[in-house]
Amino acid sequence: MLRAPIVFAFATALAALVAASAVATPITPSRDDEVIEVLPATSAGRSEDRQLRRRLAERPGDARLAAAVAERYLVQARESGDPRFAGLALAALAAWPEPASAPNEILLLRATLEQYLHEFDASVAHLRILLARPGGDRNPQAWLTLATVLRVQGRYADSDGACRRVGVGVYASACLAENAALRGETAAARRSFQELLADARLPPSTRGWLLTSLAELEERDGRTAAAEAAYRGVLRLGRDTYASIAYADFLIAQKRPAEALAVLKDEARTDTVLLRVAIAATRANAPSGPRDVAEMRERIALANERPEASVFHGREQAMFALAIDRDAERALALARGDVARQREPLDLLVLAEAARASGRRDAIEEARRLKSALGLHDRRIDAAL
Amino acid sequence: MRPSERGGRWRAALHAVVGVVLLLGAAAALAHKASDSYLQINASADRLDVRWDIALRDLDVALDLDSDGDGKLTWGEVRSAWPRIESYALQRLTIDGCPLTPMGRSLERRNDGAYAVLHLTSTCTLPPTPRITYALFADVDPTHRGIAKVQRQGAGVELTVLEPRASAAGAARAASGAAASASSPASAVGARPGAVARWEFFVEGIRHIVTGYDHVLFLLSLLLPAVMRRTPAGRVPVERLSAAVWPVAGIVTAFTVAHSITLGLAALKLVSLTPAFIEPAIAATIVLAALDNVLPIFPVRRVVVAFFFGLIHGFGFASVLAELELPRADFAWALLQFNLGIEAGQLVIVLVATTVLFTLRRWPGYARVVIGGGSALAIAIGATWFIERTANVSILPF
Repeated sequence: MLRAPIVFAFATALAALVAASAVATPITPSRDDEVIEVLPATSAGRSEDRQLRRRLAERPGDARLAAAVAERYLVQARESGDPRFAGLALAALAAWPEPASAPNEILLLRATLEQYLHEFDASVAHLRILLARPGGDRNPQAWLTLATVLRVQGRYADSDGACRRVGVGVYASACLAENAALRGETAAARRSFQELLADARLPPSTRGWLLTSLAELEERDGRTAAAEAAYRGVLRLGRDTYASIAYADFLIAQKRPAEALAVLKDEARTDTVLLRVAIAATRANAPSGPRDVAEMRERIALANERPEASVFHGREQAMFALAIDRDAERALALARGDVARQREPLDLLVLAEAARASGRRDAIEEARRLKSALGLHDRRIDAAL
Repeated sequence: MRPSERGGRWRAALHAVVGVVLLLGAAAALAHKASDSYLQINASADRLDVRWDIALRDLDVALDLDSDGDGKLTWGEVRSAWPRIESYALQRLTIDGCPLTPMGRSLERRNDGAYAVLHLTSTCTLPPTPRITYALFADVDPTHRGIAKVQRQGAGVELTVLEPRASAAGAARAASGAAASASSPASAVGARPGAVARWEFFVEGIRHIVTGYDHVLFLLSLLLPAVMRRTPAGRVPVERLSAAVWPVAGIVTAFTVAHSITLGLAALKLVSLTPAFIEPAIAATIVLAALDNVLPIFPVRRVVVAFFFGLIHGFGFASVLAELELPRADFAWALLQFNLGIEAGQLVIVLVATTVLFTLRRWPGYARVVIGGGSALAIAIGATWFIERTANVSILPF
């Protein structure tokens, strides 16, 4: 009986500590050479970045220069998961506010940045303007981006149309196979991926990417052993953040949270990684669990200072609400907002799980209807419903 | 938080085919949130204190704080850059009616890095709906936002999200914060090239007269008795529409000519009167015009009254015009557009009001309820505005 108050007092003290660390703490430097801030590493070199920025400031209408600057920042945004770089990239394109008069490469970059920022409708609109231009349709990269955005929106048939315009070769075939797999044409899609993987000359990055698609196909089809073999195959090729996160989700779903933690051990603690770490550590009763959860909670609170954040990051916030807070109602609300915008299998899975946890028939029915409207084949969702 | 990486994987694959090497390995990274600055605005009766936190890494992009380019910001680098930081930031924030003076500097650490903190102050009274113009990092990162918490003495905290370059008219409450900052109120117009060609100042003129309740109320006060004529036996309704139209047309023309004169004089900066006088004076014109409806006080015809009071209202329009920052190149054309907008809006209001009043004129209660009650209401509102504008307090919600 004596222990409860002690635990309570300890928890209170810990909570106070976390709350205190969430607010700003003053810095009082004493020497001129004291380092106050370490700027994020840049892949291409700081002085070159700065030089490019200055040249662009002098010639803001130089499309090639602007595209080069935006491209660099986009790469950095992807590498680091830091959305600030996407903002810097957009600023480089500011000389072309009207999409109709923007050069092709500028328009493609804008659409790609919008894809990164989850502004899918804007991205599709801009790609369509580009692809409708005379000669603009001979742009495999634009078609592939369009196919990807449409797929994320759950518009598989439209995505197929864009895949067919990518041309011939591994990317066009994989584009169609991915859609076929989502629709449940599993055997044909599996065969497609396996044929593509049979080419021994594939570079490791392409091989890893095809294997990840195959792993996800097997996971959605309920063939856990095949899925796990494919995920392991990807990670044997080298580090791959996307595949690590997908494999961690798979392991958490298989009730093997300790292994999920091990998979993510060397990944940078971006928000998507930290979310899985927090869930896995909690499930595994790891000592780091409470700290990871507190950190994730703090990041969500910070992001939500912008009112639209819970819309942009609805999937992650719904997963957190469901797995950590066990707040089914909140998770359901967040998941509903999320699927209004993006409809990857994971988005629908989260909606289905939140609906099931809430016990609300209308919500379960809503998830079921959405799944059949998309024509998505996913046995994990069937099990949740 | 991190957006979906799914699309990135597909695009990365294509990059490989095109021959561009794209590393997908994640670099060392901490909390990833979008770029935000934080404004804590504390308002008391006669003083405003602003604490403004701006991330050093954002400032580095705009101002190259890292002078030796080693990727580390030292205290020495930040200290020598302080004057540049301060002037860069201060040029990008205005709170109307509250000129901000820097009072102090400090540094702090937040979840996502080190921040410069500017302490600003102003001896002013924050208006009930402050117009905040925010342009920080507008040229560097269009996704940047300012998160402003406005705390008034004895009131709750209001949260506003400020978008660079747009200006938020009024601190909207948290729930509607995004919507409020997304609207682009008057002061954003002048900055946009081609605004004149798109007749935006005409639209601003209409907007101003339609949402300028004091001008509308003044006009209505003048118009209330226009569908009646005075006889020794009291007021009787006019027989024909033409009998009402002519006095209305006379009043509206006099008002228009007068406010166009002062609007022009003020816009050309030939005459300038302080809003401290003009704003209460406008309120007084409403009270007097409405009072004249129930108790004749003016020894002259109403056309003359409309003209003289119109002169005062013209200065009121001019102060809005100053906020619009008319383009220098097309100044005359922009001014004409704004004035035409006011007249167009005014014409619609007058037509609607006259039609309604003309229809109601034979109703037995017209003199008592419409003229008497309407004027009493106008007197009450005008008097309240007069008190608000002289004592600088807020009573009415509009």
